[in-house]
Amino acid sequence: MMDVLLEEPFETIPSGDATNREGGGGMMLIASIIRPECLDAVKDALSQLHVVGGMTITDVRGFGRQKGHVEHYRGEPYVIRLLPKLKVEVAVRAEDVEPVMAAISQAARTGQVGDGKAFVHTVHEVMRIRTGERGPSVL
Amino acid sequence: MKLITCIVRPDKLDPVADALDKQHIVGMTVTDVRGFGRQKGQVEHYRGGEYTIRFISKVKIDLVVQDSDVEAVLVTISKVARTGNIGDGKVFVLNVENALRIRTGEKGTSAL
Repeated sequence: MMDVLLEEPFETIPSGDATNREGGGGMMLIASIIRPECLDAVKDALSQLHVVGGMTITDVRGFGRQKGHVEHYRGEPYVIRLLPKLKVEVAVRAEDVEPVMAAISQAARTGQVGDGKAFVHTVHEVMRIRTGERGPSVL
Repeated sequence: MKLITCIVRPDKLDPVADALDKQHIVGMTVTDVRGFGRQKGQVEHYRGGEYTIRFISKVKIDLVVQDSDVEAVLVTISKVARTGNIGDGKVFVLNVENALRIRTGEKGTSAL
C-alpha cells in the first residue's frame, strides 16, 4: 500500500495526435470476440502475417442475437445466457487492417452461430512503457 | 456505430442485461474487472486498524450499437445500474470504424 513519490518530473516525449504523425499512417485497434477453441488458429494466422507485433487475450463472457443457448436438465429447458469467449486485441497500422480482418475471419470461422465479431477502433496514441517511445514504431 | 463500455457493480449485470433485452439490444460482452474512481477504493476496518481496499470488483459490459441507439442505451443503463452510492460506475462511448460478423463475413452495420 505504499505510494511511490516521484522526486523528479517524469520526462515525456512530446508527440501530439498520432493520426497526424509525419511519415506514419494512422493506427487501429482490432478487438475480436472469438470461440476459445479458435485461439491457436488465430494466433498462427496473425503471426504468419508479420504485421502483428503482439496481442492481448482476455477471458470474457457474452452472447449475440441468439442470446446464449438452451440446455435441458431433467426434462426442463434452461438458457445459458453468457457463453465463454476470448477477446483478442491487436494494434496495427491502418494499412494492415484489411489483411488482419481477413485472417481472423478465416481462422475463427466455423460457420455456426457463435463464431463472434471483430470491431475496429482508431488509436490516437500508443506508447512503449519500457522506453517511453511513441507512435507507429511501437507496434 | 459506437462501442458503449460500462463499468457497473457486479450485482447490476442481470438487471442491465434484462433491461437492454427489452429494448431489443442484443449482444454484449462481459468482463470481470477491478477498479476504483475518485474515492480510491474503500476503507475497511480490521481489529481496530484501518486498511484500504484499493481495487474493487466490477463488471465491464461492452455493447456495440447503431449511432441512433446510443442515447436510449445510456438512459437505460443510467436508470438500471444506479444505486446512488459511490461506486456505481461509469459509461464510455467510443467510435467503431468497422465491424465484422466472423460466421458470414458481413461487415458494417449488418454485422451488428
